[in-house]
Amino acid sequence: MRFPRALLILTLALAVARPRDAVAQTARDLVTQGVRAYRALEYDAAVALLKRSVADRAIGTLSTAERAQALTYLGATELFRGRRDSAALAFADVVQLDPRYRPDELVFPPQVTNLFQEVRQATKTVSLAVPPVTEVRARLDRFTARVFTSSLADVAVTLARDDGTPVRELYTGPVADSLTVTWDGFSAGGTPVATGRYVLRVAPRTAGAVAPPVRQVTLDIEQQAADTLPWPPAPPAPALLPERTPAGPAVRSLAAGVAAAAAAIVLPSVMARGAGGSDARFAVGAAIGVAGVVGFIAQRPGRPLAANVQANTLQRDAWMRRLDAVKGENATRRATARLVIRADPIVTADRGGTR
Amino acid sequence: MRPSAPTVLPIWMLGLALVAQAQDRPTLAFRGDAAAVWLRQETAPGVVQQLRGPALGAEARVNYGPFALGASLLEGNLDVLGGLASKRDVVEGRVLIAARALPWLEVSVGPLLRAYVTDSTTERWVVWQGRARADAPILTTSLTSYVEVWRALSSRVTFPSAPLSAGRVQGGEAGLMYRPPRRPIWLRLAYRLDNALLGGGPGGSETLEAVSLSVGIGR
Repeated sequence: MRFPRALLILTLALAVARPRDAVAQTARDLVTQGVRAYRALEYDAAVALLKRSVADRAIGTLSTAERAQALTYLGATELFRGRRDSAALAFADVVQLDPRYRPDELVFPPQVTNLFQEVRQATKTVSLAVPPVTEVRARLDRFTARVFTSSLADVAVTLARDDGTPVRELYTGPVADSLTVTWDGFSAGGTPVATGRYVLRVAPRTAGAVAPPVRQVTLDIEQQAADTLPWPPAPPAPALLPERTPAGPAVRSLAAGVAAAAAAIVLPSVMARGAGGSDARFAVGAAIGVAGVVGFIAQRPGRPLAANVQANTLQRDAWMRRLDAVKGENATRRATARLVIRADPIVTADRGGTR
Repeated sequence: MRPSAPTVLPIWMLGLALVAQAQDRPTLAFRGDAAAVWLRQETAPGVVQQLRGPALGAEARVNYGPFALGASLLEGNLDVLGGLASKRDVVEGRVLIAARALPWLEVSVGPLLRAYVTDSTTERWVVWQGRARADAPILTTSLTSYVEVWRALSSRVTFPSAPLSAGRVQGGEAGLMYRPPRRPIWLRLAYRLDNALLGGGPGGSETLEAVSLSVGIGR
């Protein structure tokens, strides 16, 4: 009674555990088993296993590298089965998948690598690689994209808004193997691109059946405003010297003269009840009064003060220079706006749109 | 009026103490005066004597921060203009201690001694004065007007021929000072009036006026 019960528990446990990651494990297992069959020279079994591993149902469960490896083993197996065309088709899929992929020459014999190379030369394809997230300061830093081709191809790398409006052409010309394309964050108009969605597109410049497919990636670009400096405060009025003589000193001079003159004239009346009162006091009073008038005229209001005007001009000029420097710095900072570029997955597109 | 020691002594002591506390180095100033002097004496109602004549004077002053100590002397010859008076000489000496309470205000106190000397008699005045002087610049510091008034704190007069005593004594001065730029000298034009009421009899007054042109050096 005890043995059948343990068997029942084990069976139930396996039944519960089995469905988890069943497809992924199966795809990888199939590759492993296919490679094992290939090495055991069991080509028919290897082909069956490897075809199942790269079947549509399993797409996505293998990484690009695993899929390229599976297809390479499939091609090699087909080659050794005498099915060269099938081998070429498998290798062509590898090239389309990753133009940079090369079969390991320590693993595969020359006839395999040679055929792969022939297929690679005959298969026109292009791929694109961009970092998932990039932060650049416009003009100062560069956003970098790498373009790979299986063979010499004439391509155009362009950036456009997601509605198709061209923004900038980044490269036009041949690519033999790989190309690094950089972008400074500016549009063709010389300004940093605005926040929005853009499409970086690698397209062949020649049409035809052998032309490589169009690859593109959608870039979600966010422009972050640069911190700008505040303008220097204008020279406040108290800091500037008066440029014209005020009325106060002139009036005070006149008042001082007139008051002292009046005092000289009225002294006998005030201090001596009218006794004395030499006429000479009028001469003294007149002299003092004239001095007051002279003082008023010499300091008459509204007269330009050249030294103060010059000093104020220097102050204003210095402020204008500081202001211009800040404006220039701010313009530089605005021109070097920070761009945060997030890349979507790379997709293959028709010449007119995404596929 | 007789000067009282309790009134004058504290003023002197206060002045000396303030001088002792001053931090600046003392400076000297001298002044020479050329004046035309008028004297009008009314010894009794309707009895007026008028005299006029030139006078020369000098003043020395020690300035110590906002404080000053000075002494002056004026001497002139007065001729008769009207009345029964005889010609006489006038001699006036004065000592003062001054403090500049505000940049434009100076107050001073001190005794003034004046004598009118004839061939036979001498009239002597001793007056303790309190003075206040206000300066008002006309052209910065180069041209300044001023007004000064004073009043006797106490006074005493000795008349050789009449039993008169001193009553209220007061006066004033208004003038103009010119200090040429970057020169130590200065010029002054002033009109001054002293008036004293005479008591002890039917009453009278004595008025001394002077128009002076002065040359000074130092500050």
